[in-house]
Amino acid sequence: MEESDLITSDWCPGCGDFGILRSEESVLKELGIPLQNIVIVSGIGCSGKTSQFVNSSISGIHTLHGRALPFATGIKVANPNLEVVVNVGDGDGLGIGAGHFVNAGRRNLDMTVLLHDNGVYGLTKGQAAPTLKLKEQVKSMPRPNINGEINPIMLALASGYTFVARGYAYDVPGTKELLKAAIKHKGSALIDILQPCPTYNDINTKEWYEKRIYKMTDLDPVVNTPGESYTKIANAIVRAGEWEEKIPLGLFYKNETVTTYEERISANIPNYISYSPAVQQIERNGVPATLIEKLLSSRRVITD
Amino acid sequence: MINMVRITWVIGGPQGTGVDTSANLFGDAIARSGYYIFGNREYYSNIKGRHSYFTLTVSDQPTRSISDDIDILATFEAETVFQHFRQVKGVLIYDKNMEGMKLSNMAFLENEIKKDVREVLSKHGYEESVKGVLDYLKNAGIPVIAVDYDAQLTKIMNEVNLSSTVVGRAKNVIAVSVSFGLLGLDKKFLLSAVSSMFKKEEYQKINSRAVEYGISLVQSQYGLKELKIDGTRLRVDGNYMSAMGKILGGLRLQTYYPITPASDESDYIEANQMLEMENENQDLRKAGAVVLQMEDEIAAVNTAISATLTGARASTATSGPGFSLMAEGIGWAGMNEAPVVVTYYMRGGPSTGLPTRSGQTDLKFAINVGHGEFPRIIIASGDHLEVFNDSFMALNLAERYQTPVIHLIEKTLANSYSIIDESTFNYNPLRISRGKLTKGSDNYKRFEFSDDGISPRAFLGSCKMSYTGDEHNQFGHISEEVNNRFNMYEKRMKKLETADKEIPERERINVYGNPDADTMILTWGSSKLPVLDALDMIKNDGIDIGMLQIKMFSPFPRNTVRKLLENKQSIIAVESSYMAQGAQVVTENTRIEPTHYILKWNGRMITRDEIYKSVRRIKSGATKRVVLNGGV
Repeated sequence: MEESDLITSDWCPGCGDFGILRSEESVLKELGIPLQNIVIVSGIGCSGKTSQFVNSSISGIHTLHGRALPFATGIKVANPNLEVVVNVGDGDGLGIGAGHFVNAGRRNLDMTVLLHDNGVYGLTKGQAAPTLKLKEQVKSMPRPNINGEINPIMLALASGYTFVARGYAYDVPGTKELLKAAIKHKGSALIDILQPCPTYNDINTKEWYEKRIYKMTDLDPVVNTPGESYTKIANAIVRAGEWEEKIPLGLFYKNETVTTYEERISANIPNYISYSPAVQQIERNGVPATLIEKLLSSRRVITD
Repeated sequence: MINMVRITWVIGGPQGTGVDTSANLFGDAIARSGYYIFGNREYYSNIKGRHSYFTLTVSDQPTRSISDDIDILATFEAETVFQHFRQVKGVLIYDKNMEGMKLSNMAFLENEIKKDVREVLSKHGYEESVKGVLDYLKNAGIPVIAVDYDAQLTKIMNEVNLSSTVVGRAKNVIAVSVSFGLLGLDKKFLLSAVSSMFKKEEYQKINSRAVEYGISLVQSQYGLKELKIDGTRLRVDGNYMSAMGKILGGLRLQTYYPITPASDESDYIEANQMLEMENENQDLRKAGAVVLQMEDEIAAVNTAISATLTGARASTATSGPGFSLMAEGIGWAGMNEAPVVVTYYMRGGPSTGLPTRSGQTDLKFAINVGHGEFPRIIIASGDHLEVFNDSFMALNLAERYQTPVIHLIEKTLANSYSIIDESTFNYNPLRISRGKLTKGSDNYKRFEFSDDGISPRAFLGSCKMSYTGDEHNQFGHISEEVNNRFNMYEKRMKKLETADKEIPERERINVYGNPDADTMILTWGSSKLPVLDALDMIKNDGIDIGMLQIKMFSPFPRNTVRKLLENKQSIIAVESSYMAQGAQVVTENTRIEPTHYILKWNGRMITRDEIYKSVRRIKSGATKRVVLNGGV
């Protein structure tokens, strides 16, 4: 090879992105599916580089700021047999991409979204991102934050994600476990991964987090019948409100009674999964394979 | 040709009262009688109540345009009378019970129109009411036909024993039937059109009565005879033709966000998404085209772009405001050599502009969309058949040159319909060509350097690959290194040169009339239609004239266009814009400027008569620039 097909990650030393990528790659490799059938899609920002830094046969699509979810949707819908994992930052996914974040929840496509949640726009030098609290001021901000914060867990629950969890970037085993469950889950899964930014976030540091985080053991997050969903969402929202003293990690909500987007499309197109848009034979030696005679006949002028 | 039949029929009424349905019914009956039609639809951005109308040109020859004057104006309420009476040269059909309606009581009529109508009526001392309009017309020798719709509907109601709300809807059918009676065609065509359109037995009954009553009210004035149809004919509109081109071309994923006048295309594909396919395997003879309604146009374009990476043919359809949002995504597709097709239905801008009216004001925006430089192919269709062929071809070009293709269609083409001979719609020679493909390998280079700039494309799922909107190396990994940037940039741009070499210039234009004439009309898009219909009239006045239509603006057919335009005495640019953007692109590429302009930017379709009169004025030396403002 005249040049390398590998690329060296260029995140800051101590960045939580290393831990997320390590967890992600190792879980994906353990899935037992051919690696070329896995696609990592990411947005723009430090988290966005995840798709570029994958050092295996997994494909990576580095998209546009805020647009990772529409890109992931196109790939997954066109070829539902691909395994799609999305990496977005909190600025990327909840700021510029908030509309897509909400609407992806409505679809419930079978894919996993990892939210790199560090409260700052790192790559543009530390401005406030949507999860940074009101009045907080991390070190490169000229003044305290005058915008309120988004709670990603609550937003995901309200948007329709059917698997909602929270992890911590430096806890590689814990993140791996959540990720495995998220990928196995049938439907859209969101993992909010709390992540210190050692360069720009001097408030939510490793020490700050590690004093507060704990794993939930007393929440029953699984919806067994559709009727339970609102109660379980309500319970999850109460726990998602914990922050200043204690920060819960683990699974907040899981609901497999909701149909996936793939199932909804299959209701209209019975062979959608086996004969998806990506694999259809649309021509035979160049001759279009689609027969349009019936569509034409409805427009034919009728003569008596 | 000059003695051919050409009758203009207009029906109008409040949106949501079945104006479209009645125009379709009338058109269907006319088509069954062996005549050709071109129908143009005008409507407000409104659901119910505002004035909408259909203009149908009825002809014994294939027709593509509308006229200034109205031969038959069919109305069933007062606003349409006020809106259109000044255009009537033939006959007005109106509701007898509306005679007392006053201009001042027209809630939806815009103040500017009221003022104009008031001036016309008061100047001649007529009262400002429907009655005043009738007097005005009678004085001008234009016959008016009073129809007592309520009395007719009451008769039908008593016969069928159904409520007035159900029967009331037959009002338009009476207006249609009176019109049909004036043409003199056999009522059997209208009756059979009624039974095709209305499936419920009670509606068939009501509307058949309406036909009988309506026709019996008048004598034939136009004496049209049934014409024999050789072969078969199709009724086509722009949205349908674009959808059909895509379906035949193997489109399997379409995305959209609702917008006028683009959504109808996506709706059609979705309604017909289970497609029949030729295949030895029984299980694969049915296959689905997925249509995704996204949360916005940003999502729509990016979802379509990413779908193409899997090997699916994918596209999106939008209009100006949506295309504005797509700019960044189209740049990503250019950078990542993704074969996405964007069907761009132009309407009146800027901003929300005229959402339901037409225009040709976005050509340069499409040509220059996105920051940075990247190749893009820009196609502009001029008629319904071209919409189909271009829509099919766009998918091929996108994959051959691995770059975004933008297909421009105006609202005029999208919403108008025409009757065409099926023999002109020959899709059998069309071939799908998927460009350079590979199965991929362990060290697959998605962006491998090559002489023509095109790298073999592998689909996601076949091997490892990497994409990024950042500048990248041959593997698709971010690289800012100087030599890589130099070469990768050139590789991308080279694809447009390759396309320019490979696509014959002659296929990127159309020439009509006499290409050697001293006078050449230079036009593009739907402005071609009225020009084409006016050419014979102009020639009959002894003016030698040719017409050049640009169909592809990027890569631009510069050599052929230069040859066709150089040393002309007059070059008349005809466009629906203020700036004549198409002519500007021609000048940029050939250094030849038009000598004259015929321009219209009021959102309404250019008429055949406007072209005829404008060319006459220009040839008489009266003006360099004719600005049109016809239409309602």
